[in-house]
Amino acid sequence: MERKKIVDDVFSKFNEIFGFYPESTGSYYMDADLTNYIKAAYPSVKCAIATCWEEGPKAYHTCNNSWYTLFDGGPWAPWIPSKQNTHAPAANKEDSGIVAIPHLSRDLIACYDGNGSNFGTHPQNVLRGMIYDTKTWEFPYLYNLIDQYRAQEKYNNGYAYNMMFVGPGWMNKMGRWEAPYELLLKSYSDGCKYYGDLKKEGKLIDMTMAEFADYYRTKKTYTEPECALWRDILYGSDKQIFWYTDPYMRAGVNMDQGGAIFDLRPYAAKLKWEVGIGTKHVQDASYPFLIQEKYRAGYFTHYAGEGTIRSAKICHNGEEVDLCLCRTKAQLSREGDTRILTLHPVEVEFCDLTVKLQTRIYFEEGTGTIRIAREILEMSNPDAEVEINEYMVACYGTTEYPEDMSGILLRCEGEEPEEIIYEYRCREKSAAGAKSVSAVIPAIGTKVSMEASKGAEGYIREGYAFSPMFTLGYKKKVSDKEVFETWLKLEKAD
Amino acid sequence: MAQAGKGRLNYRCPSCFMRDLDIDMFYDKEKDEYYCLRCQYTGKEADILKDNEQVRTKYKAMYQRYSEFDFE
Repeated sequence: MERKKIVDDVFSKFNEIFGFYPESTGSYYMDADLTNYIKAAYPSVKCAIATCWEEGPKAYHTCNNSWYTLFDGGPWAPWIPSKQNTHAPAANKEDSGIVAIPHLSRDLIACYDGNGSNFGTHPQNVLRGMIYDTKTWEFPYLYNLIDQYRAQEKYNNGYAYNMMFVGPGWMNKMGRWEAPYELLLKSYSDGCKYYGDLKKEGKLIDMTMAEFADYYRTKKTYTEPECALWRDILYGSDKQIFWYTDPYMRAGVNMDQGGAIFDLRPYAAKLKWEVGIGTKHVQDASYPFLIQEKYRAGYFTHYAGEGTIRSAKICHNGEEVDLCLCRTKAQLSREGDTRILTLHPVEVEFCDLTVKLQTRIYFEEGTGTIRIAREILEMSNPDAEVEINEYMVACYGTTEYPEDMSGILLRCEGEEPEEIIYEYRCREKSAAGAKSVSAVIPAIGTKVSMEASKGAEGYIREGYAFSPMFTLGYKKKVSDKEVFETWLKLEKAD
Repeated sequence: MAQAGKGRLNYRCPSCFMRDLDIDMFYDKEKDEYYCLRCQYTGKEADILKDNEQVRTKYKAMYQRYSEFDFE
């Protein structure tokens, strides 16, 4: 209730001074309840800064656990929030009535891997990250970051969004960190000039938040995804990732790990998640993950257990190679309503066999489904067979620390359906030709399932206390030129 | 000794920064050194500036201006 009182207070003050209510507003985080209240009480509001991308436990940690902005798991670019959950884009009439924008445009690799506040289009992020030449005070990274955002128009119907949103307090005469006032001023002036130059060159259109909301609503449909094919522009690694967001999910794919899904948020559940004093989540506003390779490991774990990741293992004569170890690159294309991430082929070497394999990942708009196809392009022995083990290791949570997995229902839909109710007993069930394998996670109202092309064996696996995960998967023997397909589906649990 | 204060600029601890922690250091006038409250780092201004350059070595592409953003 206090939040609503604050809203009423500032909105009435605004009205008192200007004689009208604002069209745009903002906060570090606005939960759906607050957004719905604002829209109902002040219908003029059409745009809001509603969150900041991946400003969660990593930002908290960076600030010596003294900065309580815990909101991972949202879109990185503007979206129409649903009435149920701010992070989750609306699929239809569940439209909250506003267009949401993130607080900054952030580096989609560096912010996920490290401290978000060092890698954004807030010029002082760049100073905070010490990403400037101390002799010349030049910072090409900021312009690379802006330009990489501009380059995303190729994947989003000719549109890309970028913004710099900061207050004058950041130009403190006392300087900030190692940066004197003159450098703070320069970072702002140069940053603004860069946007100004782009505008003069006809490469940018500047808009107010309200203008942008109008533009966005004419440009985007509810189900149209936001896509970002992103490369490292700072560490010199050539690492490439892909981000996909629609009303059903947010997914991250890492080409440096053979196209593994390293982050997955099940927006399909449209989880009601009120935030603030008096709710179950006083500070934690993050949308829960099923996969998060930093908080729940990914391919690499220490000594025991498994980390969350969606990948595949290629097996032959007792040898096993995980595609997470096959570094590659990808292109993004579109066929109708499907976005296709086509990875460059990789070679898997066994003692007596080399397999050339290509991965394609299909994101089918409006379905909550990711289809993954592995095609055997070539084998050094064309008569050989390999087994492909498509797997997803998952759990749920919003922070680095494990949650209680008790009661998660794992199901393997073979001729005789098999179930495991999670009790940390490391049990496993499998069935040849299983129609689907699934997990229902009551704590986040989510069902995640996998299906496979014909002839595959489905399996489900429970974890244990030192590996609090579950695994869903399919195994199939494949030969040269064969394609093995699996579908990962996200749904709201009944 | 008298209480420590802030220096001319808010130097952060290079050692903590290396592990993604922003910790402002304090300045000890008697020893003419900055020190970290969270770890054992101490250093003169020149040491900090040198260590900050070390911090930057992870940004191998920091001076590079990109014009292409995909790998086609």
